[in-house]
Amino acid sequence: MAASAADVRSILSIPAPSLAAGPSQQKKQPTTQTRKPEGISRELYSLIGPSAPSLVTLSKPRLKQKPNLGGGSKVKWECRAFKNPGRQDSLELRHWVRASTAEDAEYPFAKYNVPSNVFTYSQDEYTRFLEDKEWTKEETDYLFSVARDYDVRWFVVHDRYNYIGGVPRSIDDLKDRYYSVCRKLVRNRPWAGDETSKAQTIASYLFDKEREITRKKYIVSLENRTPEQIAEEEALFIEVKRLEQNERRFKKERDELLRTIAGIESGLPDIVEDEGLSNLAIDTKKKKNRGSVMDADSPAIPAMPVSAPIVKRPQTAKNAAFDAANCIVRTDPPTTVPVTKAAHQPAHLRSYKLPVPKAAVQPKITAALAELGISHSRLVMPTRDNIMQLESLLEATTSLVEIKRVVDKVEYDIRVLKTRLGMRESQGVEGRPGEAMDVDEGHEGDVVGEDGRAQSVLSTRSARSRKQTRRSMSISSVDTSGTATTRAGTKRQKRS
Amino acid sequence: MVNYGGDEVSALVVDIGSSSLRAGYAGDDTPKAIIPTSYGYHNTGGDEAMDVEGSDATQKSRSMKRMYIGQNGPSMWREGMEVANPMVDGLIDDFSAIPPLIEHALVDVMRCRPSEHPILVTEPTWNTPANRERMAEIMFEEFDVPAFYIANTGVLNAFAAGRGTALVIDIGKDMASVTPVVDGFVLRKGLSYSTLPKLVHAHARHILSNPTPMRRGIELLPHQLITNKESVDLNAPPRFSIREDRIAGTTESWRIWAENREVDEWLMSVGTILEQGWNDVAAAQRPAKAYEFPTGYNTYFGPDRLNVGEQYFHHPPALVATNPNLPKHVPNLILETFRSCDTELRQVLSSNVVVTGGGTLFNGFVDRLSSELGRSFSHAKIHAPGNPVERRYGGWLGGSILASLGTFHQLWISKEEWQEHGKAIVGQRCK
Repeated sequence: MAASAADVRSILSIPAPSLAAGPSQQKKQPTTQTRKPEGISRELYSLIGPSAPSLVTLSKPRLKQKPNLGGGSKVKWECRAFKNPGRQDSLELRHWVRASTAEDAEYPFAKYNVPSNVFTYSQDEYTRFLEDKEWTKEETDYLFSVARDYDVRWFVVHDRYNYIGGVPRSIDDLKDRYYSVCRKLVRNRPWAGDETSKAQTIASYLFDKEREITRKKYIVSLENRTPEQIAEEEALFIEVKRLEQNERRFKKERDELLRTIAGIESGLPDIVEDEGLSNLAIDTKKKKNRGSVMDADSPAIPAMPVSAPIVKRPQTAKNAAFDAANCIVRTDPPTTVPVTKAAHQPAHLRSYKLPVPKAAVQPKITAALAELGISHSRLVMPTRDNIMQLESLLEATTSLVEIKRVVDKVEYDIRVLKTRLGMRESQGVEGRPGEAMDVDEGHEGDVVGEDGRAQSVLSTRSARSRKQTRRSMSISSVDTSGTATTRAGTKRQKRS
Repeated sequence: MVNYGGDEVSALVVDIGSSSLRAGYAGDDTPKAIIPTSYGYHNTGGDEAMDVEGSDATQKSRSMKRMYIGQNGPSMWREGMEVANPMVDGLIDDFSAIPPLIEHALVDVMRCRPSEHPILVTEPTWNTPANRERMAEIMFEEFDVPAFYIANTGVLNAFAAGRGTALVIDIGKDMASVTPVVDGFVLRKGLSYSTLPKLVHAHARHILSNPTPMRRGIELLPHQLITNKESVDLNAPPRFSIREDRIAGTTESWRIWAENREVDEWLMSVGTILEQGWNDVAAAQRPAKAYEFPTGYNTYFGPDRLNVGEQYFHHPPALVATNPNLPKHVPNLILETFRSCDTELRQVLSSNVVVTGGGTLFNGFVDRLSSELGRSFSHAKIHAPGNPVERRYGGWLGGSILASLGTFHQLWISKEEWQEHGKAIVGQRCK
């Protein structure tokens, strides 16, 4: 449907161009059309033509990018001799380095050669501060040299510590001596920094030998437990946890009780915040209930928040006047229905709560109303009055249906009795089957009894009357089931 | 390269064990040369003559020995060839054989010139200072190495497992040892070792060579001494003919070496350890395994094959009563180590147990060990490489890692230092 240039011209009423310009334009057009955009296959282009969507041209398919491995240029390596500044001798090892690295570059691993800083002390310092009757200077010197050799790794220091002519020392003895010497040196030497840093440094050399020994004793005793002891310990632990939990629960319950009885005078905080989020909902509900209870029972406490929606307001004269002035009509909640969550009536439109006839009689009512030409299912204006009228209409229809049913029954009875009378007159009395049926009749209800006798009489005669029996039976069964449901209903009410 | 902390200076690593000598370049994951430590030799010079000439000549006569080293060394039968092993209880006892062994590995197998490479040698924890100084002397004086270092196998095994702190359980051909390593240092006071593998070997030999009601004693003739054999039924007496021409020229030492090898082969292919401790019912449930000896005799081994491995973990009371000097079994070694270690270390050591050495490739060893450890240390964690090469040559691998670290190169004992300080430098530097 492409509009040609001629169409455009005719629309805009432009005169046709001269012949010289025409061919050049016509020539130009095919060149632009044949140029295929990047990233679209030739076949696809020939199919869809120049009206290719721009999205296709944006996503140009490409092969996976080659990983960039260091620029791709060749790297020249050289085997060079190097000297390690960590060594005192002139050993030269050879390793391969990039030719680009500087000839006199420092050995990259030299920076990891960190000497351990272990204190040294002079003879003078030793005699002034560090004398200890347990340790000679020689042994202290030896301890410090071993500590320096093994970078104060105490397990190793203790393992390698072998002072000839000395008493055997435990790892705690060594640590104690070492750290006490360090502390004394820090304390007595001139300190460059401020006091806090000095205190910190001293604190870092703190060592409490007695505590350390006790701690190790604990570890040993912990490891030496027998499996029975471990099991017992675990059982005890669980028991303690349980007891703690119980106690907490008791405390909580007691607090709650106090709060319920004494209210704010109990001096307990009203909101318990230590419960988890899951308990929160229950908690608030509990509080609500509590609030309602207190409102009803002890209105002397006005501080309690009134949050109960189901509370019955006392119908005072003032309230009534207020309601009348504001056209407020209060509907009492159905008193027979128990006060449960399901019975709670939220705000609603009246049209949602149109009265409906009872399910058992509904078809009959519908039929009766239809006969009268009234539609009860649709209320154009569900105002309060209208609904009341509809309700009364339904009630009237129900009673009408009921009355009709009774009338029908009575008429039927009369007809049956008349027939029987006619039969008795025509022929003699047959007592036997009647007696047998009388027994049955005693068992059945009053209403059915009539039918039963009729059936008993008729059964010997016709199949039609047998059919009727069945009907009566069914009626009786419906009745009993009906009573059963009502009974269940009352029971439920009682329970709740 | 700095990222990995590696800086390779083409160092060589030599790890000498009772069974084999491993050598290779630092930075590799497998040794290039693995040759048996046992070697065959002929005495070319007259022994009597040397004894007369005195001590000076003894040294000379040793070098006059014609030695057969390498894969075709002891295993090839030669008339009158003796077989010797320089190692006794994991330590080098006969240093005269060490230079030829190392030279064979480095020059003949690896084709490199020792004088151009720094060399790292391993030593067991119980090595004596005299031994390591002797080793340094051999390296500097005979091989003219530019730098030398001697490192502990316990530490190296921990390094091979990627740990600085570990409890290394090493079962070799001759020795079983438990070494606590903390921060890359062996705690010498916690070391415990015994000649347990020898006991297991002796037990296996006893089982094989002693007749039972079911079978006769088994002849442990090596295939080198058998001309031909016929396939025979299960438990039937073997039908083979001995190479009579070789019997006369076979020396006692070679025969012992060959028989030991037969025992070891049987042990490693048939022997199994019950994972959950000895239990007669469980032992009876295990299927018997068939094994054929070089003579052609073949039979099934049932409880025997389980019984033999049990020696690693449990000694029957009767055996203990008769032999007071029984080597300690593995649980005892571990217990002893833990007892002599600081209580604080027990936790960290038991959660870093490194199992290494060819002996631990015994079927079911690691499972049994973990069940034994689990009884006393519920949190025990065992690191046992599944790769048999890593398990057998863990010490070499650790040396390979150590000697290729950039930070290690300041620890080498250079030739200059050796000449300046003498033997004392070894003890100072290699802590």
